[in-house]
Amino acid sequence: MDIFFQQLANGLTIGSIFALVALGYTMVYGVMRLINFAHGDMVAASAFVGLTIYTQVMGQATSLVAVVAIFFLAAVVMAGVGIILERLAYRPLREAPRLSAVVSALGASLMIQNGIMLIWGPQMRIFPELIPNISWEINGVVISLIQVLILTLSLALMVALYLFVEKTRMGAAIRASAIDQDAARLMGINVNKIIAIIFIIGSSLGAVGGLFIGLYYRGITFNMGWQYGLYAFIAAILGGIGNIPGAMLGGMLLGLFQAFIAGYVSSTWADAFTFILLILILIVRPTGLLGERVAEKV
Amino acid sequence: MNILKRYGLPIFLVVLLILPNLLDPRWQAIAITFLIFSVVALSEDIVLGKAGMFNMGHALFFGMGAYITAILNSQYGWPILATIPVAVLVPALFGIIFAGPIVHLRGDYLLVVTIGINIVFIQVLQNNLGGVTGGPNGIFGLDGLNLFGWQLTSQLSTYYFAFIAMLVTLAVMRNLEKSKAGRALHYLREDSLASESIGINTRTYKIFAFGLGAGLAGLAGTVFATQYSAVSPEAFNFMQSVLFFSIVLVGGSSIPGIFLGVFVMFILPEIFREFSTWRYFVFGFAMILTMILRPHGIWPASFGKIPKFLIKDTDHGA
Repeated sequence: MDIFFQQLANGLTIGSIFALVALGYTMVYGVMRLINFAHGDMVAASAFVGLTIYTQVMGQATSLVAVVAIFFLAAVVMAGVGIILERLAYRPLREAPRLSAVVSALGASLMIQNGIMLIWGPQMRIFPELIPNISWEINGVVISLIQVLILTLSLALMVALYLFVEKTRMGAAIRASAIDQDAARLMGINVNKIIAIIFIIGSSLGAVGGLFIGLYYRGITFNMGWQYGLYAFIAAILGGIGNIPGAMLGGMLLGLFQAFIAGYVSSTWADAFTFILLILILIVRPTGLLGERVAEKV
Repeated sequence: MNILKRYGLPIFLVVLLILPNLLDPRWQAIAITFLIFSVVALSEDIVLGKAGMFNMGHALFFGMGAYITAILNSQYGWPILATIPVAVLVPALFGIIFAGPIVHLRGDYLLVVTIGINIVFIQVLQNNLGGVTGGPNGIFGLDGLNLFGWQLTSQLSTYYFAFIAMLVTLAVMRNLEKSKAGRALHYLREDSLASESIGINTRTYKIFAFGLGAGLAGLAGTVFATQYSAVSPEAFNFMQSVLFFSIVLVGGSSIPGIFLGVFVMFILPEIFREFSTWRYFVFGFAMILTMILRPHGIWPASFGKIPKFLIKDTDHGA
């Protein structure tokens, strides 16, 4: 039973990271019908940006203010990168065939990933210990302060996002653009602005996710974005892509699933089991768990 | 332009026929790589370009062919050439069985499922399932080519082996373009619903395209295993699939476009070796730029083999 609760705690931690990153995919997909392949690499870039802010700007301070400032600055930087990315790589292709935008997204992913390598080098870097390494043992289950922080902060951000999208005027505009961009434009919604906002929100949530990855796993590499990006993307699809609560649910489920596979079966098979789960779910429910059944537009 | 269209491919093939005799061994090896990856990219074009299915796991079929050749040769002592039928048929069958339950998925979902199956495949290889794949190191020390007792172990004979594989692929694609199946694929890519309503069994043709593409990729796998006399999982990971996917779309899913794509993606880096760290950064930039400037690819395919009596009618209408 110890393994069960231990893996439950680990699964909820990585699940909330997946969910944060998955939100970036799902929001962009919801409005633009585009898989933003570069999102995973933006997450990786965020960890490196955070590292540089820590060493260069903060002078290696680990006070509470400094940590909050690192999160804030990294989110701002990545939001900026997100806007530039949308402007240069995606906006010119909005009217182009679907596959052209996919290739552009793949190109952006390659560029960011190798940009990280050119700037910070190909070797693994160690992320600073910003949060004190405190852990509690409850009945043989070890829970660390970082895990608690990741879980509570992620949940808070997700609730805030949900309220923003469901309760505010801007959120209504986002939902309208997701349903029909042309109709939204006719109602006086500035769709370009909405897309920019989506990239800002998605990229900053991804940036927080990237810093969490750095804090939790400590070792960061330039090509880790594909790995986490793919997991987060699967999470988004599990929940039904384009669906915000779906991404949260999918992220948590995927995190738990992977943790239990690692705990009870073997971590060397985690990827294979994850994808087999995905394929099975897509065969049974082709639009994900919470996705609505929509006919392809004719 | 017409002359280029008509004689371009034959001239290109003649050049490829003579080329290896003028190259030193290092460039011969690079030329073989060019041929092999061209075959894989062309076979990906059948699935992605011709049938319009977002297949981002094509390296799986390539790897499956290579591993089948390697296992049959190293474990069971089959000659390389004798493994070809198995290395073509098993990936083709796997493609058909795998495609069955997933071809109905919407584009992006299909993309993720194919990425997934590729990653599962790599993990199976790395974990050495059944004890025949050699784990992360792969299998090495395969025999050379052997035809009725002649030892064809020189690099030149590997080159011509690859060349024949490419001729076969080109012949298949040419026939596909002229045949009923090719037209069916063309229509279902343009408009799946409309093609279904005029009586094309879209599901069958989609699965057919998957099987055909997978079989040809398997053939390329055999050549690959021959060239290196070894196979390892990294050569077939899903990053390779991403490259093949991009080559087809950046090239414009036409034969010259794909050759160009393979050349840029795999041969140019050999020429500019000193810039190797910048390789993927530049590619990424080039991919974005190409798509913005030419959304249909550098050399867009035109479907030119529609029978004349079908084209006439549309002219009247216009």
